[in-house]
Amino acid sequence: MEASKTIAHEIGGVRNDAFRFGLQGVKSDIVGSHPLESAYHSTKVRQEEMKRKVLANTYGSALPMKLELDRQILSRFQRPPGAIPSSMVGLEALTGGLEDFAFEDYLNDPKDSESFRPVDTHHGMEVRLGLSRGPVCPSFI
Amino acid sequence: MASKATTDVPMKGGFNFDLCRRNEMLANKGLRGPSFLKTGTTIVGLIFQDGVILGADTRATEGPIVADKNCEKIHYMAPNIYCCGAGTAADTEAVTDMVSSQLKLHRYHTGRESRVVTALTLLKTHLFSYQGYVSAALVLGGVDVTGPHLHTIYPHGSTDTLPYATMGSGSLAAMAIFESKYREGLSKDEGIKLVAEAILSGVFNDLGSGSNVDICIITKGHTEYLRNHMLPNPRTYPQKGYSFPKRTEVLLTKITPLREVVEVIEGGDAMEE
Repeated sequence: MEASKTIAHEIGGVRNDAFRFGLQGVKSDIVGSHPLESAYHSTKVRQEEMKRKVLANTYGSALPMKLELDRQILSRFQRPPGAIPSSMVGLEALTGGLEDFAFEDYLNDPKDSESFRPVDTHHGMEVRLGLSRGPVCPSFI
Repeated sequence: MASKATTDVPMKGGFNFDLCRRNEMLANKGLRGPSFLKTGTTIVGLIFQDGVILGADTRATEGPIVADKNCEKIHYMAPNIYCCGAGTAADTEAVTDMVSSQLKLHRYHTGRESRVVTALTLLKTHLFSYQGYVSAALVLGGVDVTGPHLHTIYPHGSTDTLPYATMGSGSLAAMAIFESKYREGLSKDEGIKLVAEAILSGVFNDLGSGSNVDICIITKGHTEYLRNHMLPNPRTYPQKGYSFPKRTEVLLTKITPLREVVEVIEGGDAMEE
């Protein structure tokens, strides 16, 4: 069996930094550190799930599948890693994010973070092509 | 198996629970965090024959301290919708500003005037999704194509639709006035008078409310914002600063520069071994 040619990496940043996130504890990972945390993270997923079900019930299952394909294509369609992050206009137009305005648009911008590190273009490109390990963007929020 | 080399969608900001675990650990070790501060407000609203009148007091408190004697509690949502906020000032401001932006985007998208129920739904879904941690108790009022509307929104996301509504710690004092004097089909002047009376009742009977009366009148196609409509609690001490007698003499005009404290030594060779 031929091994996979690409190296998997954690999407969404490294979570095993003990200085920043504390020692890995099973309980705290499951329960979460705040009563709101699990609800906060699951709300969006559940809403999308519900929207998909509504669409499937109304128009048949082909439409949500096509939309999911579009979403995957549009989320991959990005600028090369570098100084300007991708604005993801296509994806936002599809998901409705363009007409929405929420906390993530004005609070805790990753670019304002004190631990922001500019993206290394070569490293980012290698990660994207599966030649190198780690997230494209090395900084945390 | 499909290729795992997926590209990351750029990181987004928003809420972050990183520090909760640390705070919990510190609390377990005996560090006491700041306790909750009592909030106090009187905000009211009523429907009169042509539209909606909203009213608010102007005192902001930090526990036992009056932080601001003339703050604004009636927030702009849309040209035809305003919202009074009680609770944590930062939360009410953030929530109303954010929903105001969402309504603006929605107006750009649809090209129509915002409806009050749209604002109501946006506010209540937001507040419900944060399970009461966003402590904003609101009185939402506006006039749209379907007529005048008045709603109250509680911090956990439940709502009421009422002809007259009060919120905040002075809500009982204000509601007493409304319950005894409200009737349907009030004229504009009668409505303003009743709202002002309800706010004054909160100002004088509730310790969390005070200072002045703000009023906002929303009718079809027109909004009137009466900032400091009444000033029942003026300052009793001199307001315009202190005046000095004319013949105060200036003793010295010559400026003597202070001695330079830091001496700059050129070159860093002295430190090297």
